[in-house]
Amino acid sequence: MRTSSYSGRAQDSSSVMDTFIQSIVSGLLTGSLYAMIGVGLTVIFGVMRIINMAHGDMVMFGMYGAFLSVTFLGIDPFLSIIIWIPIAFLMGVFIYRFLLKNIVPAGELNTLLYTAGFSLFIANLVLLIATGNYRTIKLKYAIVPLRPFGISIPIPLAIAFGMAILITVALYWFLIRTDTGRAIRATSQEPEAAALMGVNVDRTATITFALGTALACAAGVLLAPSLYLYPTVGEILVAKCFVIVVLGGLGSVPGAIAGGLLLGVVESLGAVYVSVPYKDAIGFVIFLLVLLFRPSGLFGVGKS
Amino acid sequence: MKKIVIALAILLLFIAPWIVSAPFFVHLMIMVLLWTVLGASWNILGGFTGQVSFGHSAFLGAGAYTTMILYLKLGIAPWYGIPIGGLVAAFISLPIGFICFRLRGPYFALSTLAVAEIIRLVALNWESFTNGPVGLLITTLPHVTFRGRSIDWENKIPFYYIIAVIALAAIVATYFMSRTRLGAYSLAIREDIDSAEAIGINTVQTRVAALSLSAFFAGVAGGFYAMYLRYIDPDAVFSIALSVEMVFIAVVGGLTTVAGPLIGAIVLVTFGETFRQILLVGHLILYGFAMMLAIRYMPEGIWGKLRHWFGTRH
Repeated sequence: MRTSSYSGRAQDSSSVMDTFIQSIVSGLLTGSLYAMIGVGLTVIFGVMRIINMAHGDMVMFGMYGAFLSVTFLGIDPFLSIIIWIPIAFLMGVFIYRFLLKNIVPAGELNTLLYTAGFSLFIANLVLLIATGNYRTIKLKYAIVPLRPFGISIPIPLAIAFGMAILITVALYWFLIRTDTGRAIRATSQEPEAAALMGVNVDRTATITFALGTALACAAGVLLAPSLYLYPTVGEILVAKCFVIVVLGGLGSVPGAIAGGLLLGVVESLGAVYVSVPYKDAIGFVIFLLVLLFRPSGLFGVGKS
Repeated sequence: MKKIVIALAILLLFIAPWIVSAPFFVHLMIMVLLWTVLGASWNILGGFTGQVSFGHSAFLGAGAYTTMILYLKLGIAPWYGIPIGGLVAAFISLPIGFICFRLRGPYFALSTLAVAEIIRLVALNWESFTNGPVGLLITTLPHVTFRGRSIDWENKIPFYYIIAVIALAAIVATYFMSRTRLGAYSLAIREDIDSAEAIGINTVQTRVAALSLSAFFAGVAGGFYAMYLRYIDPDAVFSIALSVEMVFIAVVGGLTTVAGPLIGAIVLVTFGETFRQILLVGHLILYGFAMMLAIRYMPEGIWGKLRHWFGTRH
């Protein structure tokens, strides 16, 4: 992924330890956003057993949303998240109700192909409207990074990190404490038993899909100031997302959080100690190794 | 009756550039046939064995780079380079097959996507060999005489005949799949892999055989693509979008049918290229939309739906 306002390397730190800490910190910051995207994909997989190839495009939607807010409305991108989360939630409801619901019973592979078609459709629709030009969001407070303990932390990424933690904690609370959250977890564990216990599976699926979409979109809004925007950015993001959820075990929320942070750190360390160009490849190599040798995820909590 | 239709179709294939010789139409027909080869290639694996691959651009790219590098660095002419490209693609498909076929269903699809991305990143960064993101460019193709006349490579018609022969070979290979033991084993695997294993089919060997045949045609198509466009770079030949397009042509046309990829390519490429002439970007919007419609209303594909009217099961 191309990063615009920060680089994984510490520019001026001379000692080996500083470089190491710097890359861990940068990795965790980016990883928190990866985790958010991954959690969205994994809850959708858990409840509906579908791999949503269009998930990355929901992130792209959020990125363009933040861009539109800054350019046309003059709203700070981080503030605009209040507008975009409900919009994305409604969009998720709409997509599930009118596009996906009838496809899901046709099986995992048909759904995979269908969402791949949907992904290509949205990405190219945006390409048609917004053109393929690379865009960036320039923020006044983004120029000078924070420097606690000699580590350089770009301010937009620090804000994004904080908000990602808030949103993830809120989601966790929702899944653990509320009735709807319990229904989602029950359906994810055993759909038939959940239905027999009186869970409205259809409603649960709709809410889950909308929630996943909203999470992806929110992550997109938070990522927008730190990345280049272009319509097909979803393609690479969705590939990373698969890496994350497979690392953590498909269907597992804590697994996706750990997987996201891990991928962020691995990429960041890889950029420093292996090579910058191959940092994306490292993730995919780990992905293949995990799929082959630990198909239920590194932590053994997912469903293989 | 069926034989007459096939003979007429082949005749039409070879006289078509004389009927419509406007450069745009010849280009369109070349693209249709190129995508027929790619769709047929994907169909041999995805249609017959039911293994959904999202990484077929790896084979296309391998063929394209092989042909290009053999020509630029060793001076080996493309008519050797293109089949060698196919063989190289088939060769690299073997380790990929043995790794990825340990996984099933959507997991196999995701693993092929990861492999193709790794290969793309290698091609992008191994600059001494592939020239990296700058790509490879050829300016002149070798001088050839055919029946005493030298072939004009600025004209598109020679390219048309080359791809017509390749497309015919790909369709014949698909027919071969539908008639032989390899095809029957593949279909058994598609229907139920555990039962296939239980009745003594070597499922890994069968899938790897189908994959390498499939990769061969993707590689040949890649070699042709490189020579026709005369320029390749890693993002152009190894992209995820390209892999996905191959899937769509095969699925929209009709999986496991012989004529499906041709029909899919005629429909999608004609609309896509016309769209591209008008709006330059975003022609894949049609591919995505067609795919959604096909999965929703016609999972057996256009030809899968129509073939009964023509009284054929191919």
